[in-house]
Amino acid sequence: MKSVEEARHEQRSATFIGLLLFNLMLVLIQIWLCFGVVENLVDGKPAMAVPAAIGSLVCFGVNVWMYFGVVRLEKERL
Amino acid sequence: MDQELKQSFPVDWVEDNYVSRREFFKFLTLASGGLAAGSVGMAVFSSINRGRISFEPAMIANVSDVPVGGSLQFSYPRPQDLCVLIQPKAGEYVAYSRRCTHLSCPVEYQPEHERLYCPCHNGAFSLTDGQVLQGPPPRPLPKVLLEVRGAEIYALGVSHQEVKEG
Ligand code: FES
Repeated sequence: MKSVEEARHEQRSATFIGLLLFNLMLVLIQIWLCFGVVENLVDGKPAMAVPAAIGSLVCFGVNVWMYFGVVRLEKERL
Repeated sequence: MDQELKQSFPVDWVEDNYVSRREFFKFLTLASGGLAAGSVGMAVFSSINRGRISFEPAMIANVSDVPVGGSLQFSYPRPQDLCVLIQPKAGEYVAYSRRCTHLSCPVEYQPEHERLYCPCHNGAFSLTDGQVLQGPPPRPLPKVLLEVRGAEIYALGVSHQEVKEG
């Protein structure tokens, strides 16, 4: 039988890994957006640059928000 | 000696190279910030540049400058926009951007194959409409719109063509 503290620790660990994977996915989306914009700019079509920049900023915002969540999660453990 | 050194400088490589999950998360977040900054930079760059390109008619060559089956390089609309003017048949002129639509290598005219060829990745474009004939370029070459006024050839604009299906 697991103690409450052990169960909490496992729960926190799973949450952390979930957030980490989500963070990684957002970074991959940003890389994809960046490549798309570069390709379009080289082709003389700048129309995609602004929406892609907004998308990238949103991804970054979510990542920062998650990072502070993680810091809080770690503090709780201490 | 070795033991003494270890005692004086107690470096634990395993511990030293250890990256905690939180550090990794921080690294990813910083990378995300860098990518976001890069995207914003590109958006600003593209909106600054957008207003500057103007397609004013410009005299690019005299009719006598381009022999039949020959070509001539020129820049249009900006000095860095390299283009090529070709006279495939007598009295018939076509002009295209020289920037390959794959990774921007300069294309060259191959009269023997009647095509524009990109040596970087073996790409080729049709002389009649700039469509991709072979290789990795994803789009046709931008076509420069021309007008012959007496003995002079003018560029009037650039048309970005769509990929022809089939
Ligand atoms: S740059 Fe022209 S085919 Fe790759």
